[in-house]
Amino acid sequence: MPLSKTREDYVARVENLTKSFGGGSGVVVALDAVSIGIERGKFTAIMGPSGSGKSTLMHVMAGLDSPTSGQAWLGETEISHLDDMELTLLRRRRIGFVFQSYNLVPTLDVRGNIYLPFELDSRRPNEQEQQRVEQLIVSLGLANRLSHRPHELSGGQQQRVAIARALATQPDLIFADEPTGNLDSHSGREVLAILSAASLDTGQSVAMVTHDPIAASYADRVIFLADGTVVHELPRSTPKRISEQMLSLERLA
Amino acid sequence: MNASLASFRANRREHGASITVAALSSGFGVLLLQVTGMLATYINHQRLAQHDTTQAALTILAVVFLVISIYVGSIVTTNTFATVIAGRRKSIALMRLVGATSQSLRASVAGEGFVVGIIGALVGAVAGLVVSLAALAILVGTRFLPEFAYPLVNPYIFAPIVVVVLTTWAASWVGARRVLLVTPLEAVGSAGESSVRETRSRPVRNTVAIFMFVIGIGIVGLGLVLGQNSVFGLPVAFVGGLGSFVGLTLGAHLFMPSILRLVGGLFGGSAPAKLAAQNSLRYPERSTRTTIGLVIGVALVTTLTVASQTFAALIQSAQAGSPQLFPGATAILAIILPTFGGLIGFSIIIAAVGVVNNLSLSVVQRSKELGLLRALGFSTQQVRSMILIESAQMTITASVFGLLLGLFYGWAGAQSLLGSVSRRFSGVGFVPLAVPWLFIIVTLVVAVLFATVASIAPIQRAVRLSPVAALAVE
Repeated sequence: MPLSKTREDYVARVENLTKSFGGGSGVVVALDAVSIGIERGKFTAIMGPSGSGKSTLMHVMAGLDSPTSGQAWLGETEISHLDDMELTLLRRRRIGFVFQSYNLVPTLDVRGNIYLPFELDSRRPNEQEQQRVEQLIVSLGLANRLSHRPHELSGGQQQRVAIARALATQPDLIFADEPTGNLDSHSGREVLAILSAASLDTGQSVAMVTHDPIAASYADRVIFLADGTVVHELPRSTPKRISEQMLSLERLA
Repeated sequence: MNASLASFRANRREHGASITVAALSSGFGVLLLQVTGMLATYINHQRLAQHDTTQAALTILAVVFLVISIYVGSIVTTNTFATVIAGRRKSIALMRLVGATSQSLRASVAGEGFVVGIIGALVGAVAGLVVSLAALAILVGTRFLPEFAYPLVNPYIFAPIVVVVLTTWAASWVGARRVLLVTPLEAVGSAGESSVRETRSRPVRNTVAIFMFVIGIGIVGLGLVLGQNSVFGLPVAFVGGLGSFVGLTLGAHLFMPSILRLVGGLFGGSAPAKLAAQNSLRYPERSTRTTIGLVIGVALVTTLTVASQTFAALIQSAQAGSPQLFPGATAILAIILPTFGGLIGFSIIIAAVGVVNNLSLSVVQRSKELGLLRALGFSTQQVRSMILIESAQMTITASVFGLLLGLFYGWAGAQSLLGSVSRRFSGVGFVPLAVPWLFIIVTLVVAVLFATVASIAPIQRAVRLSPVAALAVE
């Protein structure tokens, strides 16, 4: 897919990205020369059936995995050739994560988890950051849960803590991997509304990997992956429209 | 037995540490008895003493050393099994789901413990026999020892072998208690981190521990008072010391987590230090057992060292006035104490296996969390320091606590034995504590070195983990 916009419009993009696992006759191509961009300040959903390569794409874009060939940029930084320490710092300072299984640190309380990104960077948040995080805590309804441990919270609450953690440092881009996969529909909608509000109100760029059409309907833009390539793209759409697109992909496969 | 063998085979990778511990205990026991038998023959031939009494005295000593090692070994094995069970929760839950009773699952784990005990005990026994016979051959060959009809195999060596098998079996049974708490529902539960409260109120055990400690300390005090007038203060203080020490080890879960937290705070407020401090308290019961194993060895060796140094200092000051007193006492001390120290200190090696194993398993069991930290921007260097601090926290806590206990018990021993002697020679009933500074420094240096070495393998495993693993949903 050609990049129709200018480079500045994308917070992250990949060009000709290929990722294969294994070798010889058992080689599996997870991503096959993919080129896409994630728009700055927008909420983007990446959809596709299981095995379409959407998780692998996210891992490479987030600096968790390195591509077999091709390039990946975060802003102006080409990340496919960074070493482990540079990638670590990149993830620490410029990327936020929200996972399906929340992945909070079980030994830390809610406050410890939210402030963890600052701790990892061996620094205290400045006054402005502190204020913003405290506001975030209030707006996510976590104010009276700060001294609780993750196991004392419901799934929805845990996921809100994870979102607060991801938003705390105002990263360039937040990757959300099936953030509603473990939640009931009410908590799931809550989480999606929070992510969509973050991009709308503060211009936070969010990329969400999902196979749930309802989740994807919250996004400004939906990219469809199948068999390691980008096969389609939709602007903000209804769940019905997205489902139809997904079904047509399944029929092709 | 066949079922036990099968499940042992399926899980043999998890049992390396327990086999090592059983082998160390059994090998140590066999070697001790072998040497005892050979020594008794030697002493008998030299007509140094009555054969039967010598044999009996040596055997009693050997049994004391062996009991200490096996006790520490049991703590380590119990802990290993408890940790292994924690790692198997999912599969245990699945077995419960399809209809296995928790009792039968626990018995099956204990069956693995039985096999572990047999393998470890036999390996250790063979090693102990080989070493003792080789040493004898060398000592006789080099004419260091005269050629007597030494017994090649002490008939009593079956005793430590059987005891090690049985204690390993029992330890695995105790360690497998947690199987009973696994619910079938966990097999279908969410992939989220399940947090388990490990510490439960154990009123009976706590009461016994506190009772033994308080009464024991009281009896030590009585021994100190009696020691003002006769040397029989020592046996009284010894009984009190033993009671209070056993009370301490039984009730360690009541205070050890707090001490670990205190020591953990000393490593600063960086993210790795904070997380490390939290990690060692994640499973307070396990950390307590790991630490107390080391404490026992360090405390006993320190007790011996302090007592002998205090004793030697007093003799020296007495001899300064009248040189004809206590002929040869210091020379005898100089030979006997290092030997005893080494034999008691053997339990430290067993406890060290426990520390290494605890660290390794804790890294394996939280690989998901380590991957998450890496994803969030924890550098490999930060992972390294976190695990090193966890190791140091346990080792340093154990050493310092053991040293402090040893200083008290050692002084109490010397005071109760020599209070009356001191009063006779210097007019003062108080025996000043001789602090063995060199010993303390060496112990702390070894502790720091050991903490570093013990963390090497776990660190390697941890930094090799891919952060992508954190994203994989179970």
